Amino acid sequence: MEERTLKEILQNHAPKLPLPTKKSEPYRYFDIEKLLGRQCKWTKAQKTAPKQGKSLEITDGVLTRIPQNVEVTFSEERELFSEHFDPLYFVSHALSQEVITLEFKTDTVLNIEHKFEEKGALRAYRLVFKVAPNVSVKIIERFVECGSQESVVLQGFDLFVGRDARVEIIKEQTLGNDAYVPIHSNFIKVEKQASVKLFTFDFGDGSGLELVDAHIGEEAQVVAKHLLFAKSSAKRGTVSRLIHDAKGARSEQVAKNILQDGARGIFDALIEITHNGAGAKAHQNSSAVLLNDGAYMASKPQLVINIDDVEASHGSTIGELDEDQLFYLRSRGIVYEEAKKMLILAFANEIIDDVSDKAVVEAIHLAFERAYYGEGQLECIATCHNCEDMVLGER
Amino acid sequence: MSKMVQIENLYAQIGEKKILKGLNLELEEGKVHVIMGPNGAGKSTLSKAIVGHYDVEITEGTIRYKGEDITNEEPETRALKGVFLSFQNPVEIPGVSNAYFLRTAVNAKRKFEGKEELNAAEFLRKARELANELGMKTELLNRSLNEGFSGGEKKRNETLQMLLLEPDFIILDEIDSGLDIDALKAVSEGINKLNDGKRTFLIITHYSRILDYVKPDYVHVLKDGQIVKTAGAELVEKLEAEGYAALGES
Ligand SMILES: Nc1ncnc2c1ncn2[C@@H]1O[C@H](COP(=O)(O)OP(=O)(O)O)[C@@H](O)[C@H]1O
Ligand SMILES: [Mg+2]
Repeated sequence: MEERTLKEILQNHAPKLPLPTKKSEPYRYFDIEKLLGRQCKWTKAQKTAPKQGKSLEITDGVLTRIPQNVEVTFSEERELFSEHFDPLYFVSHALSQEVITLEFKTDTVLNIEHKFEEKGALRAYRLVFKVAPNVSVKIIERFVECGSQESVVLQGFDLFVGRDARVEIIKEQTLGNDAYVPIHSNFIKVEKQASVKLFTFDFGDGSGLELVDAHIGEEAQVVAKHLLFAKSSAKRGTVSRLIHDAKGARSEQVAKNILQDGARGIFDALIEITHNGAGAKAHQNSSAVLLNDGAYMASKPQLVINIDDVEASHGSTIGELDEDQLFYLRSRGIVYEEAKKMLILAFANEIIDDVSDKAVVEAIHLAFERAYYGEGQLECIATCHNCEDMVLGER
Repeated sequence: MSKMVQIENLYAQIGEKKILKGLNLELEEGKVHVIMGPNGAGKSTLSKAIVGHYDVEITEGTIRYKGEDITNEEPETRALKGVFLSFQNPVEIPGVSNAYFLRTAVNAKRKFEGKEELNAAEFLRKARELANELGMKTELLNRSLNEGFSGGEKKRNETLQMLLLEPDFIILDEIDSGLDIDALKAVSEGINKLNDGKRTFLIITHYSRILDYVKPDYVHVLKDGQIVKTAGAELVEKLEAEGYAALGES
């Protein structure tokens, strides 16, 4: 075991790979140098024989439970996307000895529970999702903090979606004040006429970043919806690049951001339509509600279009809660805090209600409420075995 | 006769504009009071001042409700104590379901009064029944609050809130404007249903159409930021025939 700064550990174990600096584009709104300066323990993950479970469970980067309905393999070999915009994508791959590969050959609904129990540790692991042509897959990923304060998690998935397949991924992560810091770095490749819907629900006081590099094939579609509710001094959000490099690709990206206290929201999102992207449809929108003077939204939706025949739009709004609406609710006896919450939820619901699974919607509402009332992390630190009962969709 | 509301020497402004200028008004328990007055006289400003709207700054004077000074009370506290304003222009709130909003409001009040809260089923039964009485499509309960409602639907929804919350002091700001005859009748029936001799109504109107259906006990005229005349129901006809100008210095 070694305890050093994150930067030293990464330099040591991935010596050939560049590390991000505060000047790196993907990290320009995120305090990456502070994170790299953090003291961490780095031990090689100890593999154990996973048990059977209803959901797939990964504890501190090690597979601990497997459900019957998925095929899991481990391999040191991996298919890297060599042009990923995020330096930490390569670093997380380099640090994880093996990738956990899930192959979906039939329609599947899978819950994945990522648990973090170790304090002050660096955890790096990668998942690969391979979805066969024509198959429909729903993956619900939940990240649970169980005493992992001060840890750093470099993690993410490489998602390969076969022709005509349909994938919905729903990620929910509530971070407490001194939670681990996650850098989720993902790659998505969508083949012809397939579709991917990605939801991220990022709540709480802690900092973290979701990075997505997606390549959309011919007549294929990516829909990405991000709901952020950040508090305290969190720096949190999404950095993404959606590339249309084939005919008739479609993308839609919507970010809703609610920022409280001194939190900073990040939506730094590029949609690029190359000269091969004729007939593209690309729509991108970000809106933010600032609940305090100290809250800040770094909203940078960008469209780069290298061809004529496309339909594209983007927009960004930043504002406060509507005073008239607040007053109306209060004038009916609903106290200020409750009225405020109703309006915030109304703003958030546009994304939450778009999730197809009603049980998951319910679970996200609960997670949101807990984050709103500041109870996000307590449950788990106190009684970790409870986590099992809290798998999204089963509560 | 005991007083429900006593407003004394009220000065109020919106921004820099001074609107109420030393207004005095007493409203009796169990009575229907009407305020009439020309456009821009300050009628809506008065109703906003009573419910604690953030637009209105009270610079002098007091508002008492059931003997208690509520001049600086939070709006939700006034509401919980039984003050209700049906807004002239109710705001639309996309994303907040009407039924959820109504139940939250009803249960907030029940909780405040130490009563048991209604569960979703109990509440819906009651809300549907009242909506039907008002000739309001129950489908409106499932929609977002006031979003895309027609003028008449908004006024019916205000009336529904009044019936559900059963307030003691009810201010209706131009509830009759923009209503067709059926809506006007339905809203009036709602008002008469709650008019049980204990509640106090303050009906603000400048058309007086509603007074064909709801019988006032007192009529006040608001002009230039003050109550310039108070009389019985007979004043309505006089005003309709002669206009506000006829009041002169009386
Ligand atoms: N938000 C506001 N800002 C500025 N002036 C206002 C505002 N609301 C009302 N006023 C002005 O205050 C006066 C009284 O308005 P109001 O109380 O709405 O009158 P009424 O309801 O009797 O027609 C009018 O001259 C109106 O233009
Ligand atoms: Mg008015």
